[in-house]
Amino acid sequence: MAFTLYSLLQAALLCVNAIAVLHEERFLKNIGWGADQGIGGFGEEPGIKSQLMNLIRSVRTVMRVPLIIINSVAIVLLLLFG
Amino acid sequence: MPGPASKRRIPVSQPGMADPHQLFDDTSSAQNQGYRAQRAPSGLGYPAASASPQAAFLADPVSNMAMAYGSSLAAQGKELVDKNIDRFIPVTKLKYYFAVDTMYVGKKLGLLVFPYLHQDWEVQYQQDTPVAPRFDVNAPDLYIPAMAFITYVLVAGLALGTQDRFSPDLLGLQASSALAWLTLEVLAILLSLYLVTVNTDLTTIDLVAFLGYKYVGMIGGVLMGLLFGKIGYYLVLGWCCVSIFVFMIRTLRLKILAEAAAEGVRVRGARNQLRMYLTMAVAAAQPLLMYWLTFHLVR
Repeated sequence: MAFTLYSLLQAALLCVNAIAVLHEERFLKNIGWGADQGIGGFGEEPGIKSQLMNLIRSVRTVMRVPLIIINSVAIVLLLLFG
Repeated sequence: MPGPASKRRIPVSQPGMADPHQLFDDTSSAQNQGYRAQRAPSGLGYPAASASPQAAFLADPVSNMAMAYGSSLAAQGKELVDKNIDRFIPVTKLKYYFAVDTMYVGKKLGLLVFPYLHQDWEVQYQQDTPVAPRFDVNAPDLYIPAMAFITYVLVAGLALGTQDRFSPDLLGLQASSALAWLTLEVLAILLSLYLVTVNTDLTTIDLVAFLGYKYVGMIGGVLMGLLFGKIGYYLVLGWCCVSIFVFMIRTLRLKILAEAAAEGVRVRGARNQLRMYLTMAVAAAQPLLMYWLTFHLVR
């Protein structure tokens, strides 16, 4: 049972990296998940798909700069301590 | 001094009054008066003991100043921490979850193991704030999950010890692993609550409290497994799994499916069905995790 808090942190970092790597124009628009393709009516509650698209767009916008820093720190730590 | 003591006691409300806003009985003022009266005469006694070398050290003016400076620095630091602690850890909100008493703990443990006869699962409110756990058995608390988690780690150490597999770092590994699963569960449920756009008053701490209740069943299962072998383990774990399943469904139904389930009507419509699926998924994950976290402890 080697599932520790540290491996959870590593997995979270990899997942956030995966979300940040999705390219807006080359990929998301082609599968219909672009940021401007999810405008639903205002009276309706947003469905799961539009919530997901919103989430992806917000994660990409917010985490762009902090990810650079966190990734550099992780790379240095992994190089030094394996 | 009886004068200041009696003046200070009057504004404090009587202990034992059933005021749901008051989380704890305030006995601090009586004790403070007692301690301060005790400390004053002993403080005067220190410089008089000139035979010991410590008095000589204290009498030196430079070290006196250093001590005074150090104590004032410590007092300033304490003030700073007290002012800013509320920004990082919601201390007052956490206090609500620990306002429990013995009767509540007993009733809640009974409810966790046998939830089938309990009729009313609603949390009582008092002017828009939920009533403290010691006044309502349905309110979530953090005392039982915290104690159950620590007991689980200790019981896991005991189980490993009886099989000659124990080493001290394994205890830390068990604790960290259980904490990691808990964090993962909380994040997964928060994500699915966001995706399904549930407008609920289920806070993160509430969620941690509900997810921590399964440790009680896990402890029971492992202890029975230690005493009676695999048969006892499976029996007790099976019983606790079903009880936790029913408990979680009945509790979460009121939080997630608030409008529909409050009257007890059958839920219809795509949105309510999705919420029902979510509740069932959360409740079904509990027995799975209970088995996953304990099966390697019982041989």
